[in-house]
Amino acid sequence: MAKRVLIVDDAIFMRNMIKDIFSGSGFEVVGEAANGLEAVEKYKELKPDFTTMDIVMPFKSGIEATREIVKQDPKAVIVMCSALGQESLVMEAIEAGASDFIVKPFKSEDVLSVVKKVLGDA
Amino acid sequence: MALDLRQYLSLYVAEAGDHVAAFGKELVRIEQAAASGGDPKAAVDALFRHAHSVKGMSASMQLDGVAGLAHKAEDLVDVFRKDPARIDAAAVDLLLAAGDALGAMIQAAASGGSPKPDAALVERLAAAARTYREGGARSFAGGPAVSAAAPAAAPPPATAPAQAKATARPVQVEVEIAGTCPIPAVRGFLVVKKLGALGQVVRAAPSVEELKAGRIPGKKLALVLDSGEALQTIERALGQISDIAGVAIRELEPERPPAAPAPAPAREAPAAEQSRTVRVRTEILDGFLDAVGELLLATARIREVGRALPDAARPALDEGVDRLHAIVKDLHDKVMTVRMTPLAVVTERLPRAARDVARKVGKQVDVEIRGAEIELDRAILEDLSDPLLHVLRNAVDHGIEPPHLRLLAGKSATGKVLVHARRERDRVILEIADDGKGMDPAKLRAAAVARGALQPGEAAALSDREALQLACLPGVSTADQVTDVSGRGVGLDAVKRTVEGVGGTLELDSAPGAGSRVTFRLPLTVAVQPVLLVGVGEEVLGLPIAKVHGAAHVAMSGLDRSRGAPVLAYDGELVPVHELTRLLGFPGGSRDERAVVVAEGDAGRIGLAVDALLGQHEAVLKPLGEPLDAVQGLSAVTVLGNGRPVFILDVPRLVAA
Repeated sequence: MAKRVLIVDDAIFMRNMIKDIFSGSGFEVVGEAANGLEAVEKYKELKPDFTTMDIVMPFKSGIEATREIVKQDPKAVIVMCSALGQESLVMEAIEAGASDFIVKPFKSEDVLSVVKKVLGDA
Repeated sequence: MALDLRQYLSLYVAEAGDHVAAFGKELVRIEQAAASGGDPKAAVDALFRHAHSVKGMSASMQLDGVAGLAHKAEDLVDVFRKDPARIDAAAVDLLLAAGDALGAMIQAAASGGSPKPDAALVERLAAAARTYREGGARSFAGGPAVSAAAPAAAPPPATAPAQAKATARPVQVEVEIAGTCPIPAVRGFLVVKKLGALGQVVRAAPSVEELKAGRIPGKKLALVLDSGEALQTIERALGQISDIAGVAIRELEPERPPAAPAPAPAREAPAAEQSRTVRVRTEILDGFLDAVGELLLATARIREVGRALPDAARPALDEGVDRLHAIVKDLHDKVMTVRMTPLAVVTERLPRAARDVARKVGKQVDVEIRGAEIELDRAILEDLSDPLLHVLRNAVDHGIEPPHLRLLAGKSATGKVLVHARRERDRVILEIADDGKGMDPAKLRAAAVARGALQPGEAAALSDREALQLACLPGVSTADQVTDVSGRGVGLDAVKRTVEGVGGTLELDSAPGAGSRVTFRLPLTVAVQPVLLVGVGEEVLGLPIAKVHGAAHVAMSGLDRSRGAPVLAYDGELVPVHELTRLLGFPGGSRDERAVVVAEGDAGRIGLAVDALLGQHEAVLKPLGEPLDAVQGLSAVTVLGNGRPVFILDVPRLVAA
């Protein structure tokens, strides 16, 4: 069965790009969220196999959202999407329970490789 | 590098002791919250942090017994962190017992021992963690459903993981991060965290602190994991992490026999290490860093020259330059790591110095130092040594009141000075706070006017906080009496200049009657600093980012004017705008559309009008040689990739010039 992914990013173009990467490779994009608040709600509702999470977002950061999601579901697989120069934020996210991270700008094969590894499918 | 851990022992004992005491206090708070129907979450989170801190610092001191017990306590607290409502009276009792035991062990360590925890207590904690995790607990209201002793009395469940945990042994894990990974230190951090889920990471090189600072020399990570998991399980966990080029895992020899006298092995280990270390003169290290800085610049220069080559020849050159750059960057990181030195080197002498001043002026003072283990570039530490001492003496001489006045003010007779260092992102924040009489903004205003530094009207217009910063102006002091210790007003301006010279900033806070605080914000290293490049006419100049608040594009003709000079409304205040060309004596600056950089000057923010903002640049700073070092307003020089030298501006001096 196709793995189900929730995409969280405040930029529509980033969501579209990530969506294209996954839907073109046999994943099912089950939902999108534009901020941390939505992310926590959508996660509860959709129970995806994994989530890609932007870090800096309005209302609630990706770190805070990660912390809340992992608290509800300790097995949640969350991959942070960071930009260069956000190293300390990524480490904060890892402390909050993120499973892995990818660094923008990213290539689709890098994204897929990180996700497959973290899901144990590689 | 071999570290003589004994030099940190007293600090460790003090700090770990604080955490254990706070751990106990939080437990009491949890009990109170339960009694009053409050939410214990915040207290449980704090509890976790204290246990975690004790674990981390004990492991760093190679006090594995203390670290192990703290780890077990942390595990149990972690269960409640996920569901604070589960914590009950029995768990609080058990954790209090663990806290008491930790306190006793830390005291034993103070006298040079390497205490081992009570095995029964460890097993009770582990059993309780299992039981509570499986949901076998009630709330406080339901009474202690699980007595602390019950899980211990019950035979451990015969499940495989429990068996495995019982036979935890040290496993050496070495990981090499792939060269393509853009942020290898974060990758290393992730490895430490993932392995932490399989056991206890008792040692890591580079340490978690270093990884957090972005340092992972050679992109290699070596750690020791106390785990009961099979090697294949550990390997599989690492297999789920991307960007890993190589992994080596092996079991280490089991722990030294318990019969051996405890302190002996602790001394043997550094001795064995010492044979592999050499002392290097600091000038050689400085020269080494300088040469590596030149290499970085030369590499950037080759890259720039390569841009002019025909397209066909480019890829091969670019590849070579990329590789060269990676190697030089790695070399640079290594040199920087070697230069990192714990703050303890300069804070060690502070308590004694404070005591000496106090005795001379008939006062009583306690100096507490926190965060002395934090590391900074040796060059910064050297420059910091005197300023720190000066600020401390000031605090004792002028801040702390004589005992009788303190008692009258309702304070304890003994004053307190807290020297507290902490890491914040890529900066170190160093605070020197006293609980003395504080500084009087009115006196500072008057002193500044008396010295002719300000007009009475200007002084009156300053907020109290701004007025406090006047203490950093040359010759301004509020001391009623000049003593032979301090008070001549020659100090704080020099302190501020030194701190700024290493790329830091200085701030003063004070509340009359409650004390003063001097805050240094320091970069980890001086050698490479981010600068903002600006264009004025034909020239390019750099401003240290640490000094820059922001920038705005403006029409000069549209700016408000105050006493004939342009001012920019920025962030709720009016900032005087200076033409950078005029300050430097360059021609130009006639255009109306300009960019204004808002930077920190000596007496508040100032705006510098420039022609263009050219972006941020990681600059390898080089000191100015003669005769350029005599030019006020310039602090250093760097060389851009295109070979162009760029002067770095010393903003406060620039306006004063």
